[in-house]
Amino acid sequence: MSVVDHNAIELAAPRISEADVGDYIALLKPRVMSLVIFTALVGLAIAPGHFHPVLAITSLLCISVGAGASGALNMALEGDIDALMSRTANRPIPRGRITRAEAMAFGTTLSFFSVMTLGILVNWYAGALLAFTIFFYVVIYTMGLKRRTAQNIVIGGAAGSLPPVVAWVAATGSISVEPLLLFLIIFFWTPPHFWALALFRSDDYARAGVPMLPVVAGPDATRLQILLYTIVLVAIAASPWPLGYFDAIYGVTSLILGAGMLVLAVNVYVSRERSQSLRATRKLFAFSILYLFALFATLLLEVVVRAVAPSIGLWTGLWTGLGAG
Amino acid sequence: MDDKREQQGIVLTEAQKRSRRHRSIAIALALGVLVVLFFAVTIVKGPAVLNRPM
Repeated sequence: MSVVDHNAIELAAPRISEADVGDYIALLKPRVMSLVIFTALVGLAIAPGHFHPVLAITSLLCISVGAGASGALNMALEGDIDALMSRTANRPIPRGRITRAEAMAFGTTLSFFSVMTLGILVNWYAGALLAFTIFFYVVIYTMGLKRRTAQNIVIGGAAGSLPPVVAWVAATGSISVEPLLLFLIIFFWTPPHFWALALFRSDDYARAGVPMLPVVAGPDATRLQILLYTIVLVAIAASPWPLGYFDAIYGVTSLILGAGMLVLAVNVYVSRERSQSLRATRKLFAFSILYLFALFATLLLEVVVRAVAPSIGLWTGLWTGLGAG
Repeated sequence: MDDKREQQGIVLTEAQKRSRRHRSIAIALALGVLVVLFFAVTIVKGPAVLNRPM
């Protein structure tokens, strides 16, 4: 007979993960990441001076991994509410593929490596700003605002607006008006975009106890707020043209796209009948993604045109010269 | 029989082995990218790699 009874303590069998690479990629919120990469790319492209392509790729990689890390930390902290909403119930944590602790470790590791790599290889201003962006999204938005106030996505939108600013700082080592304009455009784009989503997903948010504006203030107040924010957005998006920061191609495009946003926001405001309202909000939600993408793509196009224009001028001059000769 | 199982410890299922192998490959690739990145930036910056703002 032994002194210690080995059967007295029954340890639970350790959990062996079956999570595949795809589950970890899903933690990074790839769709959000693609928008971050694109806006950061525009921030890099419009920055003045020469920035070596290797450093540009490094910056983009660090910014996108930092954004993905924020997404993973966000999912780790919101596993309980994600399980209650149909839109998020398929995420790796509610499905039981990845535990919250694993997601937390994954997000923290990627945050650390993205910030340190950007700081060491590019510059510490950009590294610090990326660290602040992750902190803002995870601590201020996810832990602080999301479950407390209907202004969650308004204030929290600052985190999603920072990537082009981080990119600009990575390229120049300083800050200027142009990246702040990009920041403002994304900042004022966020409320109409997310409130449109919240309008047709309000049951989901109510079930999870997330105080989104339609849940707290009702759909009518949300429709009005969407319209007001869209008016401000269109004005801010067009302002860089008369202010002389971006060219006419951008100015005209922003006005055309802005008119589209306004028409759809007015449509959301006047459509009160359920099925009509659902259609209108879905249309606005879908168009808002296209709006931001097209607006930033135009800025990219302007940079390309500006780069190519001198050589076109050279060819035209040569052609004219030959003709005259 | 029980003793034998105890000696074997935890036996992974095929699915667990497969996902672990995939995760290991992904970690190896990520580390490889990091090495290439640091090497490329060192070449691009040359001696200035140690000269960073702040």
